[in-house]
Amino acid sequence: MNINKSNPLLLHPLNKWMKKKKWSWFPHQIETFRHVRTGSDVVVFAPTGAGKTLTGFINPIDDLIKLKKFKGLHTLYISPLKSLANDIVRNLEKPIKELDLHISFQVRTGDTTPYKKQKQKQKPPNILITTPESLALLNSYENAKEFFHNLKYIIIDEIHTFLDNKRADLLSLNIERLQTFSPNLQRIGLSATLKNKQDAKKWLCRKKPKIVSYENSVLPKINILESKKRIPWSGHMATYSINEIYKEIMKSKLTIIFVNTRAQAEYMFKNLWLINKKKLKIAVHHGSLEKNLRLKVENNLSKGLVDCVVATSSLELGLDYGDVEKIIQVGAPKGINRLLQRVGRSNHNLNTPSKAILVPTNRFEFIEAKAAIEEIKKNNLDKIDLKEGSFDVVAQHIFATACAGQFDIDDLYKEIIKAYPYKKLKLNDFKQLINLIQDGGYVLKNYDQFKRIFQLRENKNIYKLVHKRETQKYRMNVGTIIENPMLKIKLGTKTLGNIEEVFIQNLSQGDSFIFAGQVLEFQSMKNNLVQVKRSKSLISKIPSYSGGRMPLSTNLANSVRALLAKSNMWDLYPEQITEWLKRQKNISKIPKKDEYLVEQFPRKKNFYTVVYTFAGWHANQTLGFLLLRGFKEFNYKPLGFVANDYAIVLWSLKEAKEIKTILNLGLLDKHLDNYLEETSIVKRLFRDNAIISCLIERRLPGMEKTGKQVLFSSDLIYTVLKKNEPDHILLKSSYKDAKKNMIDYERLREILKKIDKKIILKKLTSISPLAVPIILEINRENLSKKETDEYILEDLENEILKEANVLSIN
Amino acid sequence: MYYQLINFGNEEFHAYPNKSLYWKRLNTLIISDLHIGKSISYAKNKQFLPPYDTKEILNKIFVSLDKIKPSNLIIVGDFLHDAFSTLSIKDQDNRNLSQYTKNTDFIWIKGNHDKNIQIEGFKNFTNYKIEKFLFTHIPIETSLFQICGHYHPKVKIVHRGKTIFKTSFVHNEKIFILPSFGILTGGLDINSKEISDVLGKKNLNIYPVGQDKVYKL
Repeated sequence: MNINKSNPLLLHPLNKWMKKKKWSWFPHQIETFRHVRTGSDVVVFAPTGAGKTLTGFINPIDDLIKLKKFKGLHTLYISPLKSLANDIVRNLEKPIKELDLHISFQVRTGDTTPYKKQKQKQKPPNILITTPESLALLNSYENAKEFFHNLKYIIIDEIHTFLDNKRADLLSLNIERLQTFSPNLQRIGLSATLKNKQDAKKWLCRKKPKIVSYENSVLPKINILESKKRIPWSGHMATYSINEIYKEIMKSKLTIIFVNTRAQAEYMFKNLWLINKKKLKIAVHHGSLEKNLRLKVENNLSKGLVDCVVATSSLELGLDYGDVEKIIQVGAPKGINRLLQRVGRSNHNLNTPSKAILVPTNRFEFIEAKAAIEEIKKNNLDKIDLKEGSFDVVAQHIFATACAGQFDIDDLYKEIIKAYPYKKLKLNDFKQLINLIQDGGYVLKNYDQFKRIFQLRENKNIYKLVHKRETQKYRMNVGTIIENPMLKIKLGTKTLGNIEEVFIQNLSQGDSFIFAGQVLEFQSMKNNLVQVKRSKSLISKIPSYSGGRMPLSTNLANSVRALLAKSNMWDLYPEQITEWLKRQKNISKIPKKDEYLVEQFPRKKNFYTVVYTFAGWHANQTLGFLLLRGFKEFNYKPLGFVANDYAIVLWSLKEAKEIKTILNLGLLDKHLDNYLEETSIVKRLFRDNAIISCLIERRLPGMEKTGKQVLFSSDLIYTVLKKNEPDHILLKSSYKDAKKNMIDYERLREILKKIDKKIILKKLTSISPLAVPIILEINRENLSKKETDEYILEDLENEILKEANVLSIN
Repeated sequence: MYYQLINFGNEEFHAYPNKSLYWKRLNTLIISDLHIGKSISYAKNKQFLPPYDTKEILNKIFVSLDKIKPSNLIIVGDFLHDAFSTLSIKDQDNRNLSQYTKNTDFIWIKGNHDKNIQIEGFKNFTNYKIEKFLFTHIPIETSLFQICGHYHPKVKIVHRGKTIFKTSFVHNEKIFILPSFGILTGGLDINSKEISDVLGKKNLNIYPVGQDKVYKL
């Protein structure tokens, strides 16, 4: 690279070290240095391998050297992962030690010992590397202001992972707090390449906002796996291609196979072992595995001691594994950004392309994989939608603020609305959140004598914590990540990892399932421990984890639609795919890019309606429910529906003749509240809200129920509140969360706004080729929880009655 | 209201979906584990549950009494969550409990939560015998048929790959356990050690409570 003679970094304290390593400064590093030096807040966009971490530290290190033996905290570095935080320390250590710079730096996460934390508070390092949760905790200490008052820089790493969730909300509030403590604080964000860079800038920057961007000109090489076998109609397990996947692993030195769910990971891992004739070293890695097992795999990966790791998103972020040669993505890519993030895990050298192979597990996924490759060539990334911040996070922040000392509510409100997600937070909502923390915020003022925070008599604007011991409760409940109830799996005395309670409840003694790559037999459950033994059986249930199902991104969905419509491309596809699409074209229709195909046909004794929206799983799930309601109104006697990323199928006793009348925006406005009510979506989110806002306490490991009655459940609270105080702030907050996250409300709204003019209705005599995949997915009930419960009881009772009758006849 | 007919100790009982049990021959209504005032008790610990449980439970009782007009109401323990709960009743009893005690005999069996608390107009007992039946919060050693509470039983049902938990009435040959009549009260699995120690594991009659119906397994 040609170094500009006027490069100011040539005088930087790290320049000597760069020269020794024979490295040169990147243009974006120079640009960032200049902007920050002149007082700008900056977001830097650069791909992996372009010295992003170093970019963040250029100005702080320069500043610290100039200030000479600066005492106290100077720079805060926020990382999304604990493991990444440790890695940053290791990277920072090298130049600082080699150049013998007088700069102190330490890490502080949930894993840091209390002794070390205490020492850090007394004698803070110059640079502290931490996580959003640890920052929130630091801000809740009484001496937070003194601790941070000299802070010069805050660096947010991987800021693209922080933009659209509750963790981001929490972080944004805490950054504003730091700015209050230290008005001269400058913000530096480090991000992977994003489509809407301006949004990231708005989220983070306040002072002379600047964007610095470095695009990699070397595109990754991505191909679809060529298989001699037919791609199945439906399903997600890629069993058909296992031998070809194995061959691909053999061809490369080190491969990561990414899958979409933990169940897929276990299944893929098991199937690879069954054909592992060459005794390749294959490992599995996902979020449910015990930490030590995961660390072991990560360690082996970075040392190149394995040939292949099957992983979920658990390996998407984090450490650089320089030796990874190839990425295999099994299953739908779902989104461009996600695929790029995964592909970027191989080959961190900027000048050679990353290599990846996509393995579609069914026919629609083939089209999706093709579309994703096209979009990556065009560098057409997904947009990350910034959303309004959640209320429950504000409640938690109010509690934290009270823990740090008495506060003025006007000052707090002004500070909060500086944070980007809370620009539109209404004063009235804020006051209700104050009340929520004070005593639950109920209309009925029963709890006057039990308040958690109270107003000073002499100044009603000042609130104060009633007792210091409440700070302990805040600290136990900090954070926005809420796990499903999990149980520990024990093989003998060894812990293998955690598994959802719901899954275990469905097992009987002797049932087998795969976990951590082994077939295990369920023996017993006691005190939240699941005792298992190794099974010789090859038949097993797979752990089915509730989380992790991502919807298809709008960007990729549009691309899939466009690609489907391009019939001149079909001949380039595998024969079965070409055949499939051609037959669809003859029998029914391939919708154009902006058309919405609706097919109706009789099948067995029912009538089927298939709506192809390509709206992603969440939105389709919602639309399915709304249509079910609409069908009921028109007396079509609907029996059920199934949704996937691409379409919805409903079946009914009568033909839905007026489908064009039903399918429009009115459907959404009319039935949405009903939908939220009947499916337990709001109820589930209420649980998160109640915990995050500290209304009820978290179930922490070690204090779980021990076989005695459950104290109370958030479901019961929800029911009582809903009935008596439907306008309560926490219900409002749960509805808000439901609309923005769970159901892809805006996306559905956009589609329904324009759908009625774009419907292509095809009345067929039987099922169309395009409908086959979704019809095959029918077998899961899709009734609401309430209905399901009653249905199960009713059905069971009938079965028993029948059995009883038969017995008496005999 | 639909009810489920239950034969226990050769007597006819009706189990209602509101979790009350009716003894027809003696015109007696039986309820258990109301835990009135639970929300206030939690508020002391700064866990602010919605303060509507007392009002709702009292209303549920009043609705039942209006409809059935029983001569006796037997509460088999844990009527109140703790000593604070009497306050909660005073605050929210807008339909006046004492009005009902005139026409119905309130027989309050003391439970572990409310053994030291008194309320005016309430007769209280550690246990109460009618013919061959003994009403008690926790079962004791006896040859009598016992009707009790305390355990808040719920049953785990696995059917066609789905698992649900349902609050249940449950009895064996000699012991009957009522579900909790409360609003913010959770449940305990019938298969748990605590309940098995009392009822055993075999020959249980289980009646899960649905939305508007009590089922029989």
